[in-house]
Amino acid sequence: MEILKKLIEMTAFQELWDDPGALLMLAIAAVLLYLGIKKKYEPLLLIPIAFGMVLANLPGGGMGVVPATNIELGEHHYMNLFEIAHEYGIMNYLYYALIKTGFLPPIIFMGVGALTDFGPMLRNLRLSFFGAAAQIGIFVVLFSAIAVGFTPKEAASLGIIGGADGPTAIYTTIILAPHLLGPIAIAAYSYMALVPVIIPLVTKLLCSEKELKINMREQDKKYPPKFKIKDLNTVKIIFPIVLGVVIAFFVPSSVPLLGMLLFGNLIKEVGVTVARLSDAATGPILNASTIFLGLTVGATMTSELFLDMKTIMIIVGGFIAFAISIAGGIFSVKGYNLIAKKKINPLIGATGLSAVPMASRVANEIALKYDSGNHVLQYCMASNISGVIGSAVAAGVLISFLG
Amino acid sequence: MNDFGIAFQLLGIGMTTVFIILSLVVVIGNLIIRVVNRLVLEEKGTVKGRETSESLIDKKKLSAIMAAVNIATNGKATVVDITKAN
Repeated sequence: MEILKKLIEMTAFQELWDDPGALLMLAIAAVLLYLGIKKKYEPLLLIPIAFGMVLANLPGGGMGVVPATNIELGEHHYMNLFEIAHEYGIMNYLYYALIKTGFLPPIIFMGVGALTDFGPMLRNLRLSFFGAAAQIGIFVVLFSAIAVGFTPKEAASLGIIGGADGPTAIYTTIILAPHLLGPIAIAAYSYMALVPVIIPLVTKLLCSEKELKINMREQDKKYPPKFKIKDLNTVKIIFPIVLGVVIAFFVPSSVPLLGMLLFGNLIKEVGVTVARLSDAATGPILNASTIFLGLTVGATMTSELFLDMKTIMIIVGGFIAFAISIAGGIFSVKGYNLIAKKKINPLIGATGLSAVPMASRVANEIALKYDSGNHVLQYCMASNISGVIGSAVAAGVLISFLG
Repeated sequence: MNDFGIAFQLLGIGMTTVFIILSLVVVIGNLIIRVVNRLVLEEKGTVKGRETSESLIDKKKLSAIMAAVNIATNGKATVVDITKAN
């Protein structure tokens, strides 16, 4: 009998009996794996996150990330990385070295910067304002989240989902509410994956057919820009340098994200001389960072942390933040159209989120549905890229005030 | 200040900051474009002076070469100089 008892203790069955919530977590991970693999919803991140979740919830595996209180030795003194690895295993080592230090989101931003082309934004600079209006969801949901019982730090982390920027949401949450990292990352990336559903839904509710038929090229012909860019390559090299320095003076807390984004963009624009650097930033570095980010964020989702009323509120609140941000962009365009001669298609406001380039592609498809000759992709990219800057600045403000 | 007060404050300060920064993006972008346009004009003036005496490559051929280089190198390389081999 004693041997049998020891045998059961040796296997994972006893732990599964003690923590049946792990089974539910494995089921949720299976759904996320299905969405990532079969439905191809943000597969690059959903698959590592879901698998990290599987690893964390395998009973006895010791791959779940433990709360920071477990590694705290005293007042502001923590275990070193070797001790963490020895005590809690490799996943905690990776989490505390790469995520808790805030290392990976800026590195991912560098890769994103190296993949981003500021050209469409520079050609349509005035459309950048709509990237600002589309950040309204972040702050409105922050307010509502406090009303339902979240602390200001938690509410800010929830609101930032409305910026539609995964690395920004993760970076803000690491600093303000690390215990909510799992559900916030899942909500952020799930809604980014659902951009093709959410943007058409909000647009259909708020825009008339006449508005969606506004042809941007015809407007450009009617009211041509005051001046043309004669050397876009040079402008694209100078722009990230000057912008990075100026933003650093106004919102220094956004520098880790925006600074790396602009550095990544600079090495892309410099071209052949530093091609090796931009290749590394967009290839091995970005890919390795994505793997580690996904797995470690997934590993924070253990049953005791995830199966909570707050998780459901985050999922609901994230959707509302996302929808309000899209609506904010649309209403700002509508307001602009009331006073301006040169009309703008409201879809350009809807893409003020930073889900680049998916939001722009979706908006372009909607515009083409109403008028097969109305290609708005380049215009949408302008507000879309400015949305990346806008959400990073919003994150910087939240971190400055609450961090 | 209570939590709602903080939320109101963040709503105001946050949205204002985002608008200011994106206004700066517009101003900085326009400024860089104007400065670069002016420099390009000056540069073109000096190149034109040379063109009249040396009779350079046909414009259509030049843009075809530049487009080919751009596609072949994914936009990473630019044509700086073209010289005839023989």
